[in-house]
Amino acid sequence: MSDLKQTLKEQIIEQLNLEDLTPADIKDDAPLFGEGLGLDSIDALEFIVLLEQNYGIKIADPSEGKDIFQSVNSLAAYIEKNK
Amino acid sequence: MKLIGNCKISKDGVFLNGELKFTLSEETWKREIYTRLAIDYPKFHKMDALAKMAFLSVEILANSPNPYEYGDSEMALIFANSSSSQDTDLKYIHSYEVKGSPSPSLFVYTLPNILTGELAIRNKWYGENCFFIEEKFDAEFFLEQINFYFSKGAKACLCGWVNSFDGKEECFLFLIEKDTIDNTESLKEELTKLYNQ
Amino acid sequence: MSPIFMTYGTMITPLGNSVEENFDAMLKEQSGVDFAENSGFNQENWPLGKINSLPAKNRYKELLQRTCKNLISSHGSELFSDENTLLIISSTKADIEALPKDTFASTRSILKEELSLKNKIVIISNACISGVIAINTAADYLQHSDFKKVVVIGIDALTDFIIYGFQSLFALSNEPSQPFDKNRKGICIGEAAGVVILSKEKINEQFHVEYLGGSSSNDANHISGPSRTGEGLFRSINLTMQRAKIKAAGIDFISAHGTGTNYNDEMESIAFDRSGLIATPLNSLKGYFGHTLGAAGLIEVIATMKMMENSTLLKSVGFKETGTTRAINVLRENKQQEVTTILKTASGFGGGNASLILKKCL
Repeated sequence: MSDLKQTLKEQIIEQLNLEDLTPADIKDDAPLFGEGLGLDSIDALEFIVLLEQNYGIKIADPSEGKDIFQSVNSLAAYIEKNK
Repeated sequence: MKLIGNCKISKDGVFLNGELKFTLSEETWKREIYTRLAIDYPKFHKMDALAKMAFLSVEILANSPNPYEYGDSEMALIFANSSSSQDTDLKYIHSYEVKGSPSPSLFVYTLPNILTGELAIRNKWYGENCFFIEEKFDAEFFLEQINFYFSKGAKACLCGWVNSFDGKEECFLFLIEKDTIDNTESLKEELTKLYNQ
Repeated sequence: MSPIFMTYGTMITPLGNSVEENFDAMLKEQSGVDFAENSGFNQENWPLGKINSLPAKNRYKELLQRTCKNLISSHGSELFSDENTLLIISSTKADIEALPKDTFASTRSILKEELSLKNKIVIISNACISGVIAINTAADYLQHSDFKKVVVIGIDALTDFIIYGFQSLFALSNEPSQPFDKNRKGICIGEAAGVVILSKEKINEQFHVEYLGGSSSNDANHISGPSRTGEGLFRSINLTMQRAKIKAAGIDFISAHGTGTNYNDEMESIAFDRSGLIATPLNSLKGYFGHTLGAAGLIEVIATMKMMENSTLLKSVGFKETGTTRAINVLRENKQQEVTTILKTASGFGGGNASLILKKCL
C-alpha cells in the first residue's frame, strides 16, 4: 500500500505537471483539492485519465470522482478495491 | 509618469528596484523563490512557467512600500512577450502525441494571457488587461500603451515582460503610476537599463 | 475627442469569402457548422466551422494570405503601405504548426510581404477577447497617436491542438452549438478571418459606424471557468457605457459572446441582467460560424455592422427555448428593424471580458 501511495504521488506530479514538487511534498491524508494541493475541476479530469491509463479503472461520470480524489489515501484505497 | 517599483527575476537571481536581492542555485529556481518568500498559495504549483514568474514578481514587488494601493479596477495589467505560450504548447502537444491523451490542465495554460488571470485571481484585480506578442522587450511600446490606459482613466499600470522558451526564462515587472510629469524619454532609458541588468 | 470611424474590410468563413457572401448566407439562415469526420482525438465526428477549401496543412498561413489578397483587391494596396496606417493582429494560436519554431513569425512575414507595410505590426493574443481588445486598442492609437488609419485583422485556424484541447475539457458539443438554449451542449470550434478598418476620417463610400468606446475587465475568479456572478463582464459593460456616454436604454442591440457552454451563457445572462439589458434584443453568432477564437470578435462586429447597414436583425441560430436563469431577449427570427447603437461583448479564458459600443453614422 505504501508503495502504491509513493507511485501515486509520482504519477500525480507527472500527470498534473507539478514539476517543482516532489512526492515528499504531498501528504497521504492532505486534501488534494481546494486548500491542500489547490486542485480544481480541470485537475479532476486529469485524475480520470491517470486512473484509466495506469490502473485500467474507468470513471464515466466526473462527479463520481469527488470522494475518490479526496487524498492520496482515498485514491489508493479505491485502486486497491477496484483493480 | 512615476516608476513606483520594478522587479526582474530569472534563474540568475532576484532584482528588486535595480538591486540584487538574492541569487538562486536550484534547477527549480521558481520554487526556490516561492519557498524563500514563505508564500502559502498551493495553486502556484499548478501554474506554467509564465504564470509562476509573473506571480512571484508581483509578490516580490509587494514587499516594497505599498505598491498596489489602488481601487480594485484602477490598475491596468499590460503584459507582453515574444514566445507566447510556446513552451507549454509543446508540453501539451507531447501529452497527446506521446503520452496518450490531451491534457486539460496543460491546455488551459496554452494562452499567454492566463498569467494575467492568475494575478487577477490572487490579488482581486478587476482592471483592464491586455497581452501583446512583441519581437523583443521595447520600453517605448509599453509606455505608449500605458499612456493609452492613463488617458482612459487608469491610475496605475502594472506591466510585465514574461518570456519562457527554449530553456530561457525571464520576467521583468514594473509598476507605473499616473502623474502630471511628462518624462517618457527618461523613463524609456531607465526601463531599458533595468531590463538589461 | 474627435470621432473614430470604422468600416469592414473582408471576412472569410465557411459561409463565404467576402463580407457580402457571408451576410447573404446569414440572411438565408445558413450555418457554416458541419460534422467533420474523424476530427476528434478518438476519431469522433465533431461539428466544426471548417473552411473546406483550406489545405490540410498550413491552414493558417493560407487563410492569412487569402485575407491579404481580398484586402488588396477590395481596398487597394495604398491603404496598407501608407505610413499613417498601423496594423493590429488578433490571434490566439497563429501558426501553431510552426512549433518548435516561433508561431507568430510567419504572421509578420506574410503581412509585411503581402501588404507592403511600412510600420510595425501590433499583435494581441488575449484568448477569446483578443478581437474586441484589438479594436479597442486601434481606437486608442487613433485617439492618442499620429496614425490616421488602423487595420485590425482577427484570425485563427482549426487545428488538432485546439479541437483536442476543448475535447479534453469536455467542452465540445456533439451537435451544432445552440448558444443560450435550454438544450445547449457546448462549443463548436470554427476558423475564420475578419478585418475592420478604423480611421479618423471615413476612408471610402462604404458604410461606416462610429466607435464610441470600449473597455476590458477581469473576473478575478478562475482561469478557465466563467464567473458565477458575471462580475468582469458587468464591469466592462458599465465602463464601456460610461466611456461611450450611452445608458442601457440607449442600446438597441447586443452582439453577445454566447459560446454554447452551460456556464458561459448563464454568466452572460446574469451580466446583461445586472447591466439593465435584460430586455435588449441580442444574438450569438456562434451558431453560424462556431467559436473562431481570435477571429470571433472581428467577424461578429462585421456581421453586426451589416445588420446596422441593412436595418435587419439576425436571429441567434440554434436558439429555441430560454436556457438561462435570467430571461434575456435572444432573437428567434430575423427581423427588419432600424439599429442605431449596438453593444458587442466577449469573454474568455484567463477571466477576460471586453466590450465596445458602435453607432450607425446617419
